[in-house]
Formats: sequence, structure tokens, C-alpha cells
Amino acid sequence: MYRKLVFDGVLFSFILSVFVFSTILRMDEDSMNLTLLSIVTVSLFLVGMGSSYFLSRRRILTLGGVLFEPNSTASGVWYKSLWAWQLVLALLVAFVMAFVKTGFSFIELFDENGFAGAMRLFQGIADPNWNILPKAVYNIIETVFMAFLATALAIPPAFVLSFFCAQNIMKSPGARLIYIFLRTGLNITRSIEALIWAIIFSVWVGIGPFAGMLALMIHSIASLAKQFSEMVEASEEGPVEAITSTGASKLQIVWYAIVPQVLLPYISFIVYRWDINVRMATVIGLVGGGGIGTMLVQYQGQAMWREVGCIIAVIAVVVWALDQASAHIRDALK
Amino acid sequence: MSGSILQVHHLSKTFPNGVQALRDVSFEVMPGEFLVIIGLSGSGKSTLLRCLNRLQEPSSGQVFYQGQNIADLKSVSDIRRLRKKMGMIFQHFNLIARQNVLKNVMMGNLASKSGWQSVLGIFSEQEKQKALECLQLVGIADKAYLRADQLSGGQKQRVAIARALMQGPQILLADEPVSSLDPATCQVVMNYLKKINQELGITVIANLHFLSLVRQYATRVIALQEGQIVFSGSPQQIDQEWFEKIYGAGAADVS
Ligand SMILES: Nc1ncnc2c1ncn2[C@@H]1O[C@H](COP(=O)(O)OP(=O)(O)OP(=O)(O)O)[C@@H](O)[C@H]1O
Ligand SMILES: [Mg+2]
Repeated sequence: MYRKLVFDGVLFSFILSVFVFSTILRMDEDSMNLTLLSIVTVSLFLVGMGSSYFLSRRRILTLGGVLFEPNSTASGVWYKSLWAWQLVLALLVAFVMAFVKTGFSFIELFDENGFAGAMRLFQGIADPNWNILPKAVYNIIETVFMAFLATALAIPPAFVLSFFCAQNIMKSPGARLIYIFLRTGLNITRSIEALIWAIIFSVWVGIGPFAGMLALMIHSIASLAKQFSEMVEASEEGPVEAITSTGASKLQIVWYAIVPQVLLPYISFIVYRWDINVRMATVIGLVGGGGIGTMLVQYQGQAMWREVGCIIAVIAVVVWALDQASAHIRDALK
Repeated sequence: MSGSILQVHHLSKTFPNGVQALRDVSFEVMPGEFLVIIGLSGSGKSTLLRCLNRLQEPSSGQVFYQGQNIADLKSVSDIRRLRKKMGMIFQHFNLIARQNVLKNVMMGNLASKSGWQSVLGIFSEQEKQKALECLQLVGIADKAYLRADQLSGGQKQRVAIARALMQGPQILLADEPVSSLDPATCQVVMNYLKKINQELGITVIANLHFLSLVRQYATRVIALQEGQIVFSGSPQQIDQEWFEKIYGAGAADVS
């Protein structure tokens, strides 16, 4: 019930605030008044929640109801129902806002000058300068190993964390507390992009592959622990019950009844994570994480597109090869 | 009262979702009995067995095993000692699929092993011999080095029995041990249960569905209906009238 109310409230507030702020109270970057904004949006949110409650009392179906209350089946033609209009209106407003905010313009897309610049870039990239190939290969090797180390170092902590973050293991009230604490921590860690971790670590340990590796490692721990713990939660209850009934300890139960069930999926996730990390490592290089990305950003800054072309070619080949390899390995592990 | 191996007094179990699975269940088990529990699906049979070895926490009542109230056991190690004395087998066998048969059986001895020994997977020669003996008892020692998931259902259940025997139990709890087996294999497995009951003197408490099996193997029967005991006596006493009382009017004995 409360999810439905909150959803309807947010939707209502979103649609009306956009109207209010784009027509009556015009604000731009400098005249942005956060207090006013919050007052308007929050009060509209409350009005929205209220009307959603009122509507549900009168048995009128809202979009929140359709979403969060599966029992309430939508009936009748769509254009006669409120929820359909809510959906259409919300999408419409979202698209209009998005086009305005991103400054979407066909004029710029096909602008003469810009277009010529892009053509120069494409020409450069299409005709790579192979002289820097040795340097590019040297740097991509650095990137691949950076990703490898980040993945490898992330495995042990993620493995241990995965059991403490699995609901079916952490059952007693005390364990529950640890579970919630760890889950929250991991969710926060994961929600911070590796790119931002790279910025943090490049200040902390200095620009270079070490910072990039640490960034990828932190992100990998959080992601792997999440994926691992989902596998633990999906593991079969039967073996756990059987091993428990022999009088085994908690550690033994996890080790003998759960680990054999999750080992293959774990390896599969690890291989995939390495593959992702190689791709992320190239991007992380852009903000000072070392490796091929850092090299790329140097040539790009000097508009040396032929050199950029060479680097892109190297990245493409390596990423493609690893992608294939990881796909085949994961397939074999099924 | 004296001489019984297990005494259940006014046992009740209410799940957190409000389902009352057991209501004031009382009975006694004598050493060497082959006690069978029958009842409709959902009548609380599995819950009853799981309250005996504390896989489920009883809500109220007492269960005395060798004079001790197991519902009182607080420390984890006490509960583990209790479980070691009660082997358990399941409808779906619950073996560790990717391990070989011998390893599966040796897992029955985990309660006697230290943490690091078990994490490193160290099993002694003695344990191995014991496991092979247990497998021999259920006539399946030749499969010791096959992976558990390569066995047929009947073979899996025999391995599960061997794993339970490895614990050196006094009581064997069997939750629908033959419900996922065909009738012929059913008999084979039931005969092994009878064998360990009679030859090793292990008390068996089993949930069964088919009355023909009950008449063939049980020394005593308890019938549950909505968590309450509605019948207790010898299998021969279950006539058509009792049958309809337990399974509902209009039910027919298909077996
Ligand atoms: N973990 C649980 N949480 C909530 N309710 C449960 C739980 N386990 C069992 N129940 C309920 O308790 C009642 C008794 O279940 P139980 O599994 O003991 O029945 P059963 O006699 O073994 O049935 P079956 O022959 O189907 O195995 C059922 O109504 C069931 O829905
Ligand atoms: Mg059951």
C-alpha cells in the first residue's frame, strides 16, 4: 500500500513540478532556489499521495496500483482509465524535459564546422599511425594486468563477504544486524562508480596504474560479493538441512553443503568480472588510472587522431579477444 | 515411562506466519521400535521429525531424549551432539551432488571433526574404512567412487542411509524416505531400513504415505491430523473406519 502511495505521489509531484517550474517560477542554474524547489515538490508529493489514497478509496485504479498491487487487474479500454493517462503524461513530460535539458539539436548534429571536425577525426582513426603500436601494446598489457590483479585481489574478500551477506545463512537476530550492516555498506560502495573510486585513489596514492587497480578492486569486491551472495541465497536448502542434521557446525555446513553448489557460478562470475574490469580499466585510465586509457587521453588532448586510431584498434582487439575467451569459458562452466 | 528412548510431552509448534503445525503432541518411543507416522499432506509430519533433532524450534512442550529435555538445550555444541545421535534421511536424499559417494558418507562424521580439518577436507584412513563399512551395510560399496549425482534414486537413498549410519546414531529419522521412488525400489530401501532397525538395533521413526508399507514394516503407528495425534496403535488396527478418519471420508487405499 505505502509503495503505491509513494509512487503515485512522486509521479504527481514530478509532472506538476515540471509544469510549475517551466512556466510560473522559471529558474536557471544561477537563480536555482533549493528551498522553494523542495517546498513545492514536497507539498505536491503530499497532495499526490493524498489524492492517490482518495482515489483508491473510490476504487479508481492508479498507475501505482497497477504496479504494486498485482491483485488489482486493469480492465476496460486503456484510454478510459486513469493509470494509462498517468503513464502517457509522465513519459511525455520526461521526454520533453530530457530533450530540453540535453540541448538536443539537429542543427548542431549536422552543423558544417562540427561535421568537418568529426570527419577529420574519423579519417585519422581510419588511418592509424602504427608507429606507436609498441607503446600501445606495452600500455594495454599494463591495463590487462591491472584488471587481473584487481579481480584476483577482490576474490577472497568477496568470497568471505558473500556468506555474511546471504539471508539464508544470517538468520539469528545478531547475524541479521551484521547482514544489514554489510549489505548497506556494499550497496553504497557499489553505487559509487569505479571512475569515482579512481579519482579518490589517484589523489590518495598518486596517478597511475596502482590507483586504477585499487579502484577496480573496491568496485569488484562489492559487485562480486553481491552476485555471490545471490548465488548462496539461491542454493538448495536440502543439502544444508542434511549436513545440519549430522551435527555439523555452521562453518562445516557452509563449506560442505553450500560451497560445492556455488563454486562453478562463482568462477563464472569471476571470469566475467575480469572481462568487465579490462573494459573499465581503459576508461579509468582516462581519469589518471594509468594504462592504455591514460595514453589515449594524452593523444586525444593534442588532437592526434591517427595515434588515437592506433590505440582504439589495440583496445578493440584486446577487448574483443577477452570477451570471446570469457564467453567460451563461462559456457564451458555451465 | 522408564525404558523409553524418546518421550514427547505436549509438543506444539506454531510458525511465525501463524500456521499451527503441531498441537499438543505426546507420545513415547521404545528402543528398537519402527515407528511410522502417517497423515495427510500438511498434517505436520515433517515438522514433528524436525522438532526432535532441533532443525525446527518447538514452540512449547518437552522432548526427553535419554532423560534430557532437548527443548532446553541452549548451547550450539549441545544441539550438535544431540543431532549426531539422531541420523536423518529425506525424501529428496539431499546428497552433495558434485562429491563422490564416499565423501558424502564421510560427511556423516563432521560433528567429530575440527574446523580446519574439515575445511581442508582431511579425512583419516579410519573414517574411510568406517564409511566403506556403512556403504557395505546398504549393499552399495562398489559405487564408492562414483559421483553422487550419477546414482539412481534408490541408490542415492541408500547412500543417504549410509551417511546417517556414519554418525553412529541411536535413532534414525526418515522423512518420507521412499516417496520419490518407484514401488520396487521402495521395497529395497524399506528393507534396508528394516535391516538396520533389526540388526543394528537403531530405532527408526519414519513418515510414510502408503498403508501397505506401513502394515509391512511398522511396529507401531501414529496418525496426525492437523497437527494432532488422532490414532496410536499397531498397524493392524487401522481398518477402513480409521483409514477414513485419518485421510478423510471417501479416501481409498490405493496401495
Ligand atoms: N517453514 C515453515 N514456515 C511456515 N509454515 C510452515 C513451514 N513449514 C511447514 N509449514 C506449515 O506447517 C504445516 C505442516 O507442514 P509439514 O511439512 O510438517 O507437513 P507434512 O505432514 O510433512 O506434509 P507433507 O506430507 O506434504 O510433507 C503445513 O501447513 C505447512 O504449510
Ligand atoms: Mg513433509
